[in-house]
Amino acid sequence: MITEREFLERARLDRRTLSIWIEEEWLIPAQVADERAFTDMDLARANLIRDLRDNMGVNDEGLDVVLHLVDQMHALRRALAAALESARDQRPSSGR
Amino acid sequence: MNDPYETLGVAKTASADDIRKAYRKLAKKLHPDLNPGDKQAEERFKEVSVANDLLSDPEKRRRFDAGEIDASGAEKAPPNARYYRDYAAQGGHPYEGHSAYGDFAQGDDLFADLLRRSAEQARRRPGADLHYELPIDFLDAVNGADKTITLPQGGTLNVTIPAGVEDGQTLRLRGKGAPSPGEGPPGDALVQIAVRPHRYFTREGADIILDLPITVKEAALGAEVRTPTTTGSVMLKIPKRSNTGDMLRLRGKGVKTRGGTGDERVRLKVMMPTGAEPELDAFLADWKPATDYDPRKGM
Repeated sequence: MITEREFLERARLDRRTLSIWIEEEWLIPAQVADERAFTDMDLARANLIRDLRDNMGVNDEGLDVVLHLVDQMHALRRALAAALESARDQRPSSGR
Repeated sequence: MNDPYETLGVAKTASADDIRKAYRKLAKKLHPDLNPGDKQAEERFKEVSVANDLLSDPEKRRRFDAGEIDASGAEKAPPNARYYRDYAAQGGHPYEGHSAYGDFAQGDDLFADLLRRSAEQARRRPGADLHYELPIDFLDAVNGADKTITLPQGGTLNVTIPAGVEDGQTLRLRGKGAPSPGEGPPGDALVQIAVRPHRYFTREGADIILDLPITVKEAALGAEVRTPTTTGSVMLKIPKRSNTGDMLRLRGKGVKTRGGTGDERVRLKVMMPTGAEPELDAFLADWKPATDYDPRKGM
């Protein structure tokens, strides 16, 4: 778990930007007691958001769409991977 | 290493704006998070990032053009060594998209069954391992200690430091990690130990090293001096005519490790008095060594 202060430093963000990102639900940190707790995944996601904005010219409106599609894509990839794995398990003894 | 201009597909005369545009165009196509599972895109993205890093910095670009640095000279680790996709590939996180296959997963067909099973697997997935760093004092590392970590998310974690733990070593506390997102077991807590340096002890494997300052008189005539060890002071016999650099060994006063207990090695350091010593000066001025004595003979 990463504290808010450490997160700001490692993601190179200021507090105001972070609260906007959280408000937009681009980042969903865990809330423990009164403190926000971040994960390495949140950090990687913040880096992705920064790449999209700073290096690829995605504006704030577009970011919503991109993040949503990226998450959908990962859900589909997981589903496909699970489906393939089950199919492999169920294949009648293929030499193994 | 490829020519960075070629990598970005721009002319040597390209303006900063051209370079930025070319980089953006390639980044959009090749960013690993937009191409999960495409190893080739990742490699290309790295090359493109390095090239951009070089050419977007006017000073670095000037030096590259002048032949002062080569393309690999500007190479540095990509800013995000782990991408979002590395985490998103697993389920059970707050960004998970559920609805993407809702339509064809309905009903009782084969695919729905597979997806149900994968959801079931995700539910039983154990919690994540949580990583902590615990700085401890040198002596606690040598002798062992009980420590309590206050967790950033509240609560505490008790850690028993085994005697002889080394800097950088990781202790695994089973079941003390994050709870499972579903109904699986919790993950582990991985506590990496950072040993703070000691004021005068250092460590070499199982041995403790100590530099022990002694007076000229103790060095010349021999003496018994109080010497610190990691478990308290002992009296150490300094032989007559000891020198700076001489090593004395206190057996069994090192670190207890699984491979046995080390020694404390005491390195003597002869110290001249810093205050005025007219008698010593007068004596040395008149002193005629009894034997041929040249410490630089071998040089």
